[in-house]
Amino acid sequence: MTSLTIHRPIGPAIERRSRAALGPVVGLLVLLAGWEAAGRLLTEAFVLAAPSEVARYLAAEWALMGRALGVTLTNAAAGFVIGNLAAVLLAAVALVWPRSEGVITGLALLVFCLPLVATGPILRVLFGPGPGPQITLAALAVYYTTLIPLLIGLRAAPQSWFDLVRSYGRGRLSTLVHVRAMASLPYLFAGLQIAAPAAFLGAMVGEFTGAQRGMGVLTVRAIRALDVEMTWAIATLATLVSVAVYLAIGAVARRVLLDEPPVILSAPAVTGRRRRRDGWIDASLVLALALGGWAGALWLFDLNPFFAKGPHDVVEALFLAPDAAATRATIGAALAETAIFLIPGYLAGLLAGAALAMLLILVPVLAGTAMPVAIALRSVPIVTTAPLVVLLIGRGALGTIVLVAVMVFFPTFVACLQGLRQAPGQVMSVLDSYAAGPLTRLVRVRIPAMLPAFFAAARMAVPASVLAVTVVEWLATGAGIGSLMALSASLSDYDVLWASVVLVAALSALGYVLVGRVERRVLAIYAPEQLA
Amino acid sequence: MERDVTPPPDVSCTALAKTFEGGTRAVDPIDLTFEEGQTTALVGPSGCGKSTLLRMVAGLDTPTSGTVEIGGAPPVSTLRQAGLSMAFQDPSLLPWRTVRGNIELALKLARHRADPAEIDQLIALVGLDGFAETRPAELSGGMRQRAAIARALATRPGLLLLDEPFGAVDELTRRQLSQDLPRIWEARGTTAILVTHSVSEAVQLSDRVIVLSPRPATIMDDITIDLPRPRAGPAARSDAATALTDRVFAALSKGMAERSAPMAAQ
Repeated sequence: MTSLTIHRPIGPAIERRSRAALGPVVGLLVLLAGWEAAGRLLTEAFVLAAPSEVARYLAAEWALMGRALGVTLTNAAAGFVIGNLAAVLLAAVALVWPRSEGVITGLALLVFCLPLVATGPILRVLFGPGPGPQITLAALAVYYTTLIPLLIGLRAAPQSWFDLVRSYGRGRLSTLVHVRAMASLPYLFAGLQIAAPAAFLGAMVGEFTGAQRGMGVLTVRAIRALDVEMTWAIATLATLVSVAVYLAIGAVARRVLLDEPPVILSAPAVTGRRRRRDGWIDASLVLALALGGWAGALWLFDLNPFFAKGPHDVVEALFLAPDAAATRATIGAALAETAIFLIPGYLAGLLAGAALAMLLILVPVLAGTAMPVAIALRSVPIVTTAPLVVLLIGRGALGTIVLVAVMVFFPTFVACLQGLRQAPGQVMSVLDSYAAGPLTRLVRVRIPAMLPAFFAAARMAVPASVLAVTVVEWLATGAGIGSLMALSASLSDYDVLWASVVLVAALSALGYVLVGRVERRVLAIYAPEQLA
Repeated sequence: MERDVTPPPDVSCTALAKTFEGGTRAVDPIDLTFEEGQTTALVGPSGCGKSTLLRMVAGLDTPTSGTVEIGGAPPVSTLRQAGLSMAFQDPSLLPWRTVRGNIELALKLARHRADPAEIDQLIALVGLDGFAETRPAELSGGMRQRAAIARALATRPGLLLLDEPFGAVDELTRRQLSQDLPRIWEARGTTAILVTHSVSEAVQLSDRVIVLSPRPATIMDDITIDLPRPRAGPAARSDAATALTDRVFAALSKGMAERSAPMAAQ
């Protein structure tokens, strides 16, 4: 089988359905009650609006909110379609020409790691006013999370299915139509489910950069005015829309697939039996193509050299120019400042996600309730709640760290809970036969079974946490690399802006690859079948 | 309504050998001819390379050396005419298609017209009445294998390759299938090659049993089974049947002894 970190819900359909219906309701009620109580208690503090206040605000301001929501949804939908079409196209190329897969995924990762905070203003200059940047950012936010599951899905069939088609003398086209396309559908839907809220988030970030209308514009206005109710109303609306779209795509998937779509944790680090040499060749190709494409695009579109910096400009700014040392020092200081928020937040999010999942698995009733809520909350565009976190915890280091941690927490928690529940039934039965207690089962079987999911989540969390930290720095704290990029964009200091984009993307991709390395080490011991 | 049946071919393997990438010798150079219209069983211990041999005949694995000819032509041309079908060890039913849907897909791939009545007949024959519209996930392992056999028969192949087709089928059903199924392909004059590690199954189903040694596979014995049919029930316990079964067992044991001897000597 192909290496996967994708899990199907286990158990008969009926049991699943009743639990799926009851769990979220209970979970949501608990969530709402807690929120309302906290809101009432903290009325004087001007940081938290209770659900009743949010509802009242939404009802009163519906004309404004509804119009903004419509604009953002339209842009998000356009980006969603474009990004997913690109993903399908790239997957098709990788399928037709397998040797290109390493380069395609490498380039895709690099583009995915571009900091939206900086690409936003750059796109704004390129496109001028209008929905261009919003749609582009929405497309950029979705294509990677669709491409990777799709690549897995297109290969997620046992060899004998391909043999069967071949044994009737049919070739690759028949395999594609009758086996691959169908086998990849669940993966495609799972990818689309993650993509929908991501598109909404991308569109909102695009609107931060000087759009005229949309939820992002309202967000910026709410933060500037310190309007607590408006901030909470926007975050609530964004959450509701994301969850609704997530559920709607899930419902379509169930109709089409006659089954739940698999929960995509994320893709394995590297595909199977590739040789190390191929990896280096691919990496060099990715680098060459990225630089060539960058320089080529500048030349092709004949952009104003004052604004549009090429690879040589960045090298010059960082190493050759008279003020290169100062530029390096500025960017280095900003990166270091960001790392202080990013790394503790990232680690805290991972640990909290894994720990809560382990705790819940010891209390199965709770796990059944928390799981659907967590899956739905995972689709919340966390970044849109950045202003809330800042309102609640302040503009200091803690607020940023908490936000990064929250961004990392949900996917990790969902992945770990899935992994823990994934423990092989027969091995569990063996432990049962020795009357092993729940703790022994957790340590001996469940945690090892959880590791692949944990690491897959840790890998995908790298770009996500970079996105979170840069957005918070930009919108709220005014510190670190996120703020530097925003500042240099508004000051037209394009050398610093482009150099920062390159460094952030490279470091982000490097972090992803490094976590992937650790992952492979661990999987070689605990889940060798995933590397086959 | 008989449709054209692809004429049963003979299959000849000449100096056929397969060594895997890691250097494992699955099959040592082997010469073998499967007569047209006959059912031949390949019997050998697990992992002896008999499945690999079958896959090379099917054109799914490329031999390291030697050739396979089906009716005097390489397997590719038989494949192109959809002149063979194979029932795999793993039933390989597509999970999103029903039993009927899986059979229809095979007919489509083989460019045959689907005749609903004939599909129903086949489904009934393998004992899956009432399961035509069921998806594989809701069938037991044995039922899935039976569906896969029905699918293999549906395209009326001239050459039928069966790789442990009854592995997951329970004893009683297996007995029934061993009686019913050969009737179909024998009536059509199909050339059938059956891979199995069950000696009784081999003796009961085939016209000829070839006993293979442990890996790398070489021929230990080549036994003609000239028992009258049907061979189930009392006939299976006749003196002649017992003698043939004993001969197959003897060849198997000899193969095991020869292969393990060098290892013991080390």
